[in-house]
Amino acid sequence: MASLEKKVISAAIISLIIGIGIGYAIAYYTIPRPKPVVTLTVIGPWSGVEMEYFMKVLKAYEREHPNIKIKYIAIRAEDLAAIAPPQFAAGKTPGDVLITPWGWWVASMGEKGHLVDLSELVDKEEFVPGIFDPVTRNDKVYGLPFTAWAKPGFWHRKSFFEKYGLKVPETWEEFKSLLKKIKEEIGITPIASGDGVGWPLSDTSEHFIITFGGPELQLKLIKGEVKWTDPEVRKIFEEYLVPLLKAGYFSEPKDWTAQVDLWWKGKYALYFMGTWITGMVPDPGDLGVFTLPGCKGIVMGTDYISVSKYTPNLEEALKLARWLATEGQRIHVGTKAGKFATWLKVELEEHWEPMRPVYKALMTGEVAVVPDLDDAVGGKWQTTFWDQLKLLWTNPDKLDEVLSTLQRVYEEQAKGK
Amino acid sequence: MNLKDVLEKASFLIPALLLIFTFVIYPTIATILLSFNINLIPGVNLVEGSTSLENYVKVLTSEEFINPTGLRTSSFPMGAIVHNVIWILIHLPATTILGLLLAVFLQNIKGSSIIRSMIFLGMVIPMVVGALMIAFSFNKDMGIVPSIFKCLGILSLYKTWTSYPDTALLSLIIGSIWLWTGFSVTLYSAGLASIPKELIEAAKIDGAPFRVILFKIIIPLLRPVTVTVVAMTILWVLKIFDIVYVATRGGPGGASMVMALLMWDYFARMNAYTLSATIATLLTIIVLPVVILWIRYATRGE
Repeated sequence: MASLEKKVISAAIISLIIGIGIGYAIAYYTIPRPKPVVTLTVIGPWSGVEMEYFMKVLKAYEREHPNIKIKYIAIRAEDLAAIAPPQFAAGKTPGDVLITPWGWWVASMGEKGHLVDLSELVDKEEFVPGIFDPVTRNDKVYGLPFTAWAKPGFWHRKSFFEKYGLKVPETWEEFKSLLKKIKEEIGITPIASGDGVGWPLSDTSEHFIITFGGPELQLKLIKGEVKWTDPEVRKIFEEYLVPLLKAGYFSEPKDWTAQVDLWWKGKYALYFMGTWITGMVPDPGDLGVFTLPGCKGIVMGTDYISVSKYTPNLEEALKLARWLATEGQRIHVGTKAGKFATWLKVELEEHWEPMRPVYKALMTGEVAVVPDLDDAVGGKWQTTFWDQLKLLWTNPDKLDEVLSTLQRVYEEQAKGK
Repeated sequence: MNLKDVLEKASFLIPALLLIFTFVIYPTIATILLSFNINLIPGVNLVEGSTSLENYVKVLTSEEFINPTGLRTSSFPMGAIVHNVIWILIHLPATTILGLLLAVFLQNIKGSSIIRSMIFLGMVIPMVVGALMIAFSFNKDMGIVPSIFKCLGILSLYKTWTSYPDTALLSLIIGSIWLWTGFSVTLYSAGLASIPKELIEAAKIDGAPFRVILFKIIIPLLRPVTVTVVAMTILWVLKIFDIVYVATRGGPGGASMVMALLMWDYFARMNAYTLSATIATLLTIIVLPVVILWIRYATRGE
């Protein structure tokens, strides 16, 4: 009997083990397992409040894709252009998805074989016309556009203008009178000059070029069809910008974010800046903006999303890049980032309210859209442009030296020196 | 020496030699060869041209390196190498003399250690912070230097020094003197402490004035310290980078560009690695005689 009992127990145990094994095998092959969590590193140019708005976009993606965790690293365009190429050369990448406003850099890295061709990832017809041009080489697209900004003109506080009885100028003479009044009657420097790495001064200069030389002159300067020493270019600086600098209507160049605060507090009356300024002030409703009288074009730019071919998470990175360029834009334009969509499926109403008039003006063709000059040329010339403008700002008499240096460096860069 | 001794000594030497070869000798040789368009780094393509001296020609004839127009008109920019030389010409005597005088002055002052610590602060703080402090000190709105000139009625210097080509380099040099003086004060203070007191007391009993004691006793006896201060200062100035990068980025218009920043520019802004390696090699060639002389002096035990 005892022997029979043992046999029964043994048989039961064996059956149990076999049953568990079969059950596990069935479960293993039939029950869907959760995907392993992949952490993607996204590198972008935003920090501070700008980063907060972008993080809302990334958080939304994480909610939609539970198996994806995103680590965001803020690296400025000039720093990314410094650290990424040596890593690319060694077959590595600092991030899975790279975002930078420098289209020239994306195209250059793509041409050298470091970035993935994204031509088939989105339908280019669904985006703002021409937006892919800076990142396209040999019919290959190395960057997808994210949200865009514009540099519409001189920002001012409506309450400040009301307080001192100032009017938005409609002619060049009125503009000069406005500056004179601000300086002599109110007793402050009329226009804040932003600095940092130098781009704010280039934005201001480009606005003068577009106003007095037309949008086509800016395009010709980008392509090198007109020299910087050309009388037409020199005249714009000599007759319009330099006299204002000599009259002390522009402040000394100082850190551009610090200038936002000073300008808002009334140390300056005007500030030439991009649309992102709307997200940096306490009361966007108090903001007004005007172009130089007669201006027929506005500089527009975007941040480009690219994927390095050295990423270990290529599939996930491409999915994120496509999402950022499309649905991600809906979220970003709804924040106070001061941006508008380049993906045409985003409706006007989805934009943050203060951005709608600018977006409408650009989309309806009221003004010509012009690419950013220094971002389009790039390379050594870009930083030279910034640095030379700092020189011009404090030494307007050095105009000829500045223009000839810009032309020399442009030619050197074009020859690949 | 038997095999056991050899193995024992080798076990101490080999790890250090391996590290030095991997992290010092190999990168140095690779950098020098890179400047001639020879790539020693496997799997990385950094060279575009063929083996030649073209990088040296490019660098030495570039306006960023030497600007003939600036030199002719005595206006900035004069070129990175000239800016480095100007920096040495002002900085070296200033820190050496200032360090010596402060050390002598503080020698017998009550509470001098506190003052010495304050002077040494410039050496303790990170250079990036020091550079920001320089930028603030020379800022028109909040800086002490422009404010002093305003009080003195010299309004031409009541401006943001780092924004103007005629004052940008000078502001950085003055700032670097402030940062570096702590180093020379500390070395001279240590040197002074090692001078036998009897020598100075004997001179005093003989009626020697302070000037004579300083020039005939203190300075000659501090010669080894002075050699170290001079060598280290020249090396520091030739390598100067962070102050310029943070405060002016070499501008405006290249007016404060220096060799190390030019090297960085070629590397980071233009991704011209061979040109960057060329500047690095040139810097090494310039620095090397100073280092050799200093080492020879130090090893002679003088």
